[in-house]
Amino acid sequence: MGTVRMGEIEVSKRAGDELVARGLGSCIGLALIDRMSGVAGMAHVVLPESNGPAPGSDEPGKFADLAVPALIARMQKAGAVLRRVDAVMAGGARMFDLGEMDIGARNAAAVKAGLTRAGVAIRAAETGGNRGRTLRVTVGQFVVTVREAGEDPVVLFDGKSSKRFARTAARVAA
Amino acid sequence: MTPRYTELQLDALRELANIASGHAATSLSQMLGREVGLNVPRVLALPLADAVDACGSPDDDITGVVIPLEGDIAGVVLLLIEPRGAETLCRLLGVEAWSEIGESALREIGNILGTSCLNALASMTGLHLEPCPPHLTTDMLGAIVSSLALSQTASTELVLVLDSELEVANEPCSISFVLLPTAGGVTDLLTPLGLAEAA
Repeated sequence: MGTVRMGEIEVSKRAGDELVARGLGSCIGLALIDRMSGVAGMAHVVLPESNGPAPGSDEPGKFADLAVPALIARMQKAGAVLRRVDAVMAGGARMFDLGEMDIGARNAAAVKAGLTRAGVAIRAAETGGNRGRTLRVTVGQFVVTVREAGEDPVVLFDGKSSKRFARTAARVAA
Repeated sequence: MTPRYTELQLDALRELANIASGHAATSLSQMLGREVGLNVPRVLALPLADAVDACGSPDDDITGVVIPLEGDIAGVVLLLIEPRGAETLCRLLGVEAWSEIGESALREIGNILGTSCLNALASMTGLHLEPCPPHLTTDMLGAIVSSLALSQTASTELVLVLDSELEVANEPCSISFVLLPTAGGVTDLLTPLGLAEAA
């Protein structure tokens, strides 16, 4: 348990486990939490759409349109109940302005659309901008932090605190 | 469709990378007045996640100089310099690191290395290649490499990374010199060598 690499999905219900999506650029780290069941999961989403039937299942987290349902299914299998699930996401930056389309913004929009379709509430989102990020969730305490390059980690969501909505949907893509 | 490369093609690409980074090392050596060592380049054809890991730890800070290519093939040249290496380069050039002029010096190093690499590639393949103005950023390695690769190719199945290390003698400074061509760009590099069909 630990690093969730590009295209991967991990789910854990073992208190103290950490799930970490490192060095997110245009990719999205999506953390789902069901505090009551003690389950957390993370997907490291790379691209917005799969364009067709599900490709190789070795990277279930690669495409936003497949990753969101796949992560939810893994959470439910581990005992999570959908209506209790909270979502926190980070990433979707535009690291370079090379004139190409903004994959980060499209990734963020696709993940949000998937969560909305599934009826999952987004408690905090730190997306857009031009900095790399690392998203980390600790199982049990259900604290989600995001760290930008060269900065200290910031708490985006605290499962134990009533202040957990403080940064709701702040700083969504410019 | 996923492109595949044969051993022969990868050898040819490694040789192209070797000569191109050799020219870059010579330019860097002239610029700094120091000896610059060069290792044998790695040519990696890997899924994107593995290609990023091959470049280093994804959330380590790294200074990246990005030189987009213009002309007959699409792709980018990327220099990855550890923060300490960036400070060393600035010191050797007599400018203050992390200042505006320091950043401009690193961009210029990118420009010169990129241009000498492209000239070598162009003369070997007969392709017309020109560097665009460099971008400079200090950020997480994974964020830089993955976002660049994704901006070059939507395919994450197989990314080609041509990677060599330039080492400035007796200084804590090594520069990772990475060529990230698009899938079409790889074919264009191999065609003049008569190797495009082997796949």
